Amino acid sequence: MSQKKIWVVDDDQIYKTIIKKIIDKSAIFDATTTFSNGKEAINALKVAISNKEILPDIVLLDIEMPVMDGWGFMEEIALIKDSIPQRLIIYISSSSIAIEDKLKAKNNPNIVGYMSKPITIDDLKLIADFD
Amino acid sequence: MKLKTNWPKFINWYIINPKLTGLIVFIFLGIIFSLLASKQYVSNIEFKRLEKINTLETIHQNIEQSLKNSYITALTLALTINDEGTPENFEEIGQKLLKSNSAISAVQLVPQGIIKYTYPLKGNEAAMNLNIFKANHTKIDALKSMKYDRMYFSGPLNLKQGGKAIIGRLPVYIKQKFWGFSAVIIKFDKFLDASGVNSIGKNKYEFQLAKRNTTTGKTEFFLKQTTQLTNLNFVKKSVTDGNWDIYIIDKNANSLLISYITNTMLGLILALVFGILTVLLLKKSTQLQVLVNKQALSLKDNEIKFKTIFDQASVGIANVELKSGKLIEVNNYFCKMLGYTEKEMKLKTFQSITHPDDLIEDVRNAKNLNEGKIDEYSMEKRYFSKQGRIVWGNLSVTPLLNQNKKQISVIGIVENITIKKENEELIVKNENHFKSLFYDSPIPLREEDFSEVKKALIKLKLINRDPEEVKQFLHSNPKITNELHLLIKSINVNKACLELYKVKNEDELSNVKKHLFNSKSFDDFVDQIVAICQEETSLILDTVIQDSNNHNRNINLRWNVIRGYEKTLERVIVYNEDITERKDADKIIRNSQEKIQSLIDTVDGIVWECNPETFAFTFVSKKVEEILGYSAQEWLSSPTFWSDHIYAEDKESIIDFCQFKTAKREDHDFEYRMIAKDNTVVWLRDIVTVVSENDKIIKLRGIMIDITKTKEVEKHLKSSFDLVSEQNKRLLNFSYIVSHNLRSHTSNISSLTDLIQCSETTEEKDELIDLLKLVSNALNDTLYNLNEVVNIQTNLNLVVEKLKLKPYLDNTLTILRNEIRTNNIIINSNITEKTEIHYNPAYLESILYNMISNAVRYCDKNRQCEVDILYSCEDGKRYLSISDNGIGIDLKRNGDKIFGMYKTFTDNVDSKGIGLFITKNQIEAMGGTITIESTLGKGTTFKIQLT
Repeated sequence: MSQKKIWVVDDDQIYKTIIKKIIDKSAIFDATTTFSNGKEAINALKVAISNKEILPDIVLLDIEMPVMDGWGFMEEIALIKDSIPQRLIIYISSSSIAIEDKLKAKNNPNIVGYMSKPITIDDLKLIADFD
Repeated sequence: MKLKTNWPKFINWYIINPKLTGLIVFIFLGIIFSLLASKQYVSNIEFKRLEKINTLETIHQNIEQSLKNSYITALTLALTINDEGTPENFEEIGQKLLKSNSAISAVQLVPQGIIKYTYPLKGNEAAMNLNIFKANHTKIDALKSMKYDRMYFSGPLNLKQGGKAIIGRLPVYIKQKFWGFSAVIIKFDKFLDASGVNSIGKNKYEFQLAKRNTTTGKTEFFLKQTTQLTNLNFVKKSVTDGNWDIYIIDKNANSLLISYITNTMLGLILALVFGILTVLLLKKSTQLQVLVNKQALSLKDNEIKFKTIFDQASVGIANVELKSGKLIEVNNYFCKMLGYTEKEMKLKTFQSITHPDDLIEDVRNAKNLNEGKIDEYSMEKRYFSKQGRIVWGNLSVTPLLNQNKKQISVIGIVENITIKKENEELIVKNENHFKSLFYDSPIPLREEDFSEVKKALIKLKLINRDPEEVKQFLHSNPKITNELHLLIKSINVNKACLELYKVKNEDELSNVKKHLFNSKSFDDFVDQIVAICQEETSLILDTVIQDSNNHNRNINLRWNVIRGYEKTLERVIVYNEDITERKDADKIIRNSQEKIQSLIDTVDGIVWECNPETFAFTFVSKKVEEILGYSAQEWLSSPTFWSDHIYAEDKESIIDFCQFKTAKREDHDFEYRMIAKDNTVVWLRDIVTVVSENDKIIKLRGIMIDITKTKEVEKHLKSSFDLVSEQNKRLLNFSYIVSHNLRSHTSNISSLTDLIQCSETTEEKDELIDLLKLVSNALNDTLYNLNEVVNIQTNLNLVVEKLKLKPYLDNTLTILRNEIRTNNIIINSNITEKTEIHYNPAYLESILYNMISNAVRYCDKNRQCEVDILYSCEDGKRYLSISDNGIGIDLKRNGDKIFGMYKTFTDNVDSKGIGLFITKNQIEAMGGTITIESTLGKGTTFKIQLT
């Protein structure tokens, strides 16, 4: 089983600590990187592309974030999509249970799925296997 | 023969020229009479001349005699002088001499030129001792007598002693020696008497004595003279002893000339009279001659004319031998009329060319004429042409008599009346046609004679009178009007007319029609008479008649005078169309119209009709006044009234909509506002039907319903709805907040408890429990904040106080003074001590703090930061605006979230996303609003409506 890279984009510090632990426990990913908002994440992605670094396999994206929220990040992705050499598997992981957010996610072709918090190890396994 | 013709010609010439002849006679006689007059004149002149000479001669002799006597006297006196030169017995002899010669008034002896002796001395004393050689007037004459040595008479001259006299002086010589003069003084008047001058015809002649003045050379005349001397009117002779000339002057020298002229004139007049008489005489005969010539000419002309008429006449003329019927002579027209040549015609008889139906009558007439029973005859008959056609002719036959009044043949004149006959037939046909049209016409028709009516009107002097006067006259004299009505004579009526009156025949009709049965028919008849008086020839009116069953019928009466009878009105066609049914139908229509009208008026809406292109209204129901305040008249007075009064905001869209729908021929239903007369806005619902006819839109029809109340209710409903929606939105927002903010914590808690459960080491567990503590604190905070928001929203009894704004602002700035100082921010404010508002003090504090701290927090560190806090009043509302020149917010992206809970837009660690959320809730709880304007990188302005 190949090693996978996962990015977590969320402004909740506590959540980031928790998800790191969960990811570690799942032992599916060998590298976890966290970002506090969409802006940080997209900038890192652009840098990685230009440096031809290994890109993350899975991105867990929160919606509500300051500076650049999840939707802002998705817009940026759509702009640079052609320059991304591999397929990015982006999951929304949000505490929101608003139906609009779910619909919006579903209608975005670059978003693979919507996960409501809390995220469990089983969830992670499922998305890893799906790939 | 030639002479014979020439002679009368010559005479003719005189006769033809009577004026010339008269002139010749006049000249001839004039010359003769003038010659005679001249001759008489010449002989008269001669006679007169001889008479004058004789008279002159007599006078001359008398004068000579008188002078001779004077000479003798002077000589006798001289003989008194003795040789010594002294006179002897002068007195005695002087006396004797004076006695013997009465003409002498005095004698003198003048020795040596000096008057020494005078007899009688008495009266002559003045001349005594006068030296005549010295006196001027005597000197020349005295010397003259001495020179010629004979007695010389001087004078006549004025004497010193008075009177006029002639002085004769005889030079006396004694012994060859001049002694002096012997002088005789002759009184001039006596001298003249002696000369016999006074005995000449004083009327005819005048006598004159003259002397040539030797010194001046002028002729001196001594007697008063009345007649001017001319070359011819006098004779003269010289008297040498006195050096005198004596004249006999013809007083009436011109009388001869006058009589000569008179005679000549008389002669000329006489000649003229003769001349004129000659002219008159000759003229008469000339006129006669001319008359004869004229008549001869006209006779000849007539002959030519007759010939021409005969040949060229546009009637056929034939000379027919009556017994045989042979055509002796025929003219061109006759030949042409029947298509024969003249030669062919002459071989025919009149019988052979006459139609057999007319022949019997023709022959009978001819026979009667021949027998002298009739003088002439004329008839219309038919001829056969050469081609066998029938030619109609109007034949007039008159006998041709010879000089003995015996009939030799007849003259027939035939007028071609074929066309006339054809026309007559056509007329008869037309007449029949017309008659059948008239009788069978479905419209009741009458032919009437109004001539008696017109005559009566003329008699009443109503023709061409003022219509009003006529009307008044007829109304005030109903009897006359009725009589006029009875004067209408019926000529014809058709079947339909009889049916209309429900009568069997004309007589019954006239009975029914006899009376003007009511005021309506009376008025209508008066109108008819007024029209006739105005000489109108046609008239249309609706009137009422009564049929035989006494039923009233409404009729449309058309009264038309037949052409050609406009003056007399002898023939008039009267159309009587029964319009009773039509009237009834009209009434039904009118009733239903009224019904519709009242329906329209009762409908609770404005019923209208308008032009589909211009939207110009053609009808609008009365209701408009009730709903909009405008009268229907006002509305219809302007073609753009509707569009002019649509509420400005709605106008364009409404008109576009109507045009669009009309073009698609779709009925439409829409709502808009109009401005009523009292300037209020009225909401209308307009339901429009597009009315088409023959595939063409002819009008729009619709109804406008006042929906203002509905609209108000709707508005109220909408605001309630908005409120509810807002509440709902807030609730939803709250639920989101709850779901998001609480869920993020609960999910964290859930994850943490999971992790704790499966933690392997104690350190790990402790670490997780610490995390759990953090989450629980955060959850606590969130719950606190939510409680705060719920408090704001549910606090219905907020305390509102009158507050001074300035101290609250200052207080806020004091709290934030460290941040302000650190960032070197300039605060600008227009708020003074006087600025007061009504607000909840805690909210005001909270709002000011949140707004200003936000402005400070998001300042742009790269430039001088400024925050403006401005208070203003607009439209009675108070506003507080807080502007900064800070980093700004991307409203396009975040506009909808800006006032949300836990919405943060920067990576600022202090951002909690709760301030604006609370602020908004507080402002709205106070009944105000908050709006934001922001440009990224330029700054942000929050505008708070306080009340």
